[in-house]
Amino acid sequence: MVEMVWTEKHRPRSLNEIIGNEEAKLELVRWLRNWEEGKSDFPGILLVGPPGIGKTTAVHALANDFSYHVVELNASEYRTAEKIYEKLGSLGRSYTLERYFTGRERRIIVFFDEIDGIDPKEDRGGLDAVIEIAGKRDFPVVAAANVPDPQKHKKLFELFKVVEFRQLTPKHIIILLKRIVEREGLKIDYEIIKKIAERARGDARLAINMLQAASLGIPVESISQSLENLPLDELLRRLSSSLSYYEIKQLIDANSSLWEDLIYTYFDIIARSPVLKFDAKIQLLDALSKIDIYLGRMNKERQFFYLRYLSHLIAWLIYNANKSGAVYDGRIPEYRLYKFVFNRDAREEFTELSEALGRSIHESRRKFTLYTLPTFCKLVKRKYSKLCEWVKKVYGW
Amino acid sequence: MQYMKIRYGETFSIPRRLGNLFREVVRIKGVEYIKGKGFIVRDYYALSNLNKILARLGLILTPEVRCFICGKYVDCEKCEFRNNCKRDVTICICDDCLNNKNILNIYLAKQNKFLGLKLSSSQK
Repeated sequence: MVEMVWTEKHRPRSLNEIIGNEEAKLELVRWLRNWEEGKSDFPGILLVGPPGIGKTTAVHALANDFSYHVVELNASEYRTAEKIYEKLGSLGRSYTLERYFTGRERRIIVFFDEIDGIDPKEDRGGLDAVIEIAGKRDFPVVAAANVPDPQKHKKLFELFKVVEFRQLTPKHIIILLKRIVEREGLKIDYEIIKKIAERARGDARLAINMLQAASLGIPVESISQSLENLPLDELLRRLSSSLSYYEIKQLIDANSSLWEDLIYTYFDIIARSPVLKFDAKIQLLDALSKIDIYLGRMNKERQFFYLRYLSHLIAWLIYNANKSGAVYDGRIPEYRLYKFVFNRDAREEFTELSEALGRSIHESRRKFTLYTLPTFCKLVKRKYSKLCEWVKKVYGW
Repeated sequence: MQYMKIRYGETFSIPRRLGNLFREVVRIKGVEYIKGKGFIVRDYYALSNLNKILARLGLILTPEVRCFICGKYVDCEKCEFRNNCKRDVTICICDDCLNNKNILNIYLAKQNKFLGLKLSSSQK
């Protein structure tokens, strides 16, 4: 018999059962109580924090504690105002019918998960719709985000109460694991629990998965760490060295923000591979071009439910490329060089810098990154002797 | 990187010359500067923003941590998990409480009181 995943089996049903983030949970409870009494200054609440620390669980537990029904709208599917209103409208109709037939009113909390995925400009009023729904105060609105941008989501930060969920401390994770060990009736050495708590780096979900693996006799050292938010280089190395479709698919799903980079890099890997045969190259590049077109269309139309098909197509492509012998050798394709800095912070810093430099010469960031910066780099590389004169001539500095 | 402990809502001075960064620091929502006394951090969201700036000067502010169970101050420097912890929380568990055999029930009881939830009969 297949055993249930422990992260689901031991998911807390009440806020009391959630371990860690005590102050954040208290804020959440206080806000809902004030909201119910009409005393809250904030129409909604925004939970901010990295994945795997219990934001979603806290919302469901809160609803359970206060006898609410959660209507969850994930930003990957409900991004535009039209779709959000459509979903809430149909719910309203079904609840009216339910009230008519049962005579009971169901209280609901509207929960927008991964709200940082909604782009205020490109998603046709999605964020405004969330704010408008919260502003009406018909029901409590809770939003959760991993990495919201204070500039992009300025309105949300101003109007919603912001509560930060933090990574759990290793000691909190020890308590969490002890509870599962007790419930499962396991005999696991305390040293192993300590090791898991150290390796999980504050991620409760990962810690529970590691404990489940450890209970099957797998040594903690060999249990891989989090698959999510990997640096691109690390992701490419793992993908390239894997010959398991399942593993590749897992890595692809956990790092969906890097798909565009993956497509560019795999084009480079396939096109330059000395091992791949001509026919194999054509076949793989043909598949890659289709993925590129689908991804472009999906982004343009903002139809993100197609992600589920694309993840299979990308995983299939990488699986076949690996099987045919294509290897990632750590080479950075030149045209994507600026995208290849290995962490998000550095990338954000680069964007900020290029924006500032572009502004100073009255150019857009895109134009600066694509045209001015490479030209400048080439000039420096060729040791342009009279660089200052050239800059003066072109930009009048 | 140097770590420095602070308490929310209390003034402290930064042992570095901020220079141009001063303007950035006082612009953070939840951070105040009182002339002659120093800075005040009002909430923990402000602290993470403040740390992003101070990290450029090699300084990280960490909030003073109390044990959730007994309320004692917890010394992060002596903690065996200090290298695997982000040290940005104000509530942790002290070693004495963690080693208590009944820690789970104590924690849950304490949390119940802290959150002030009155559970319905079906949840009890």
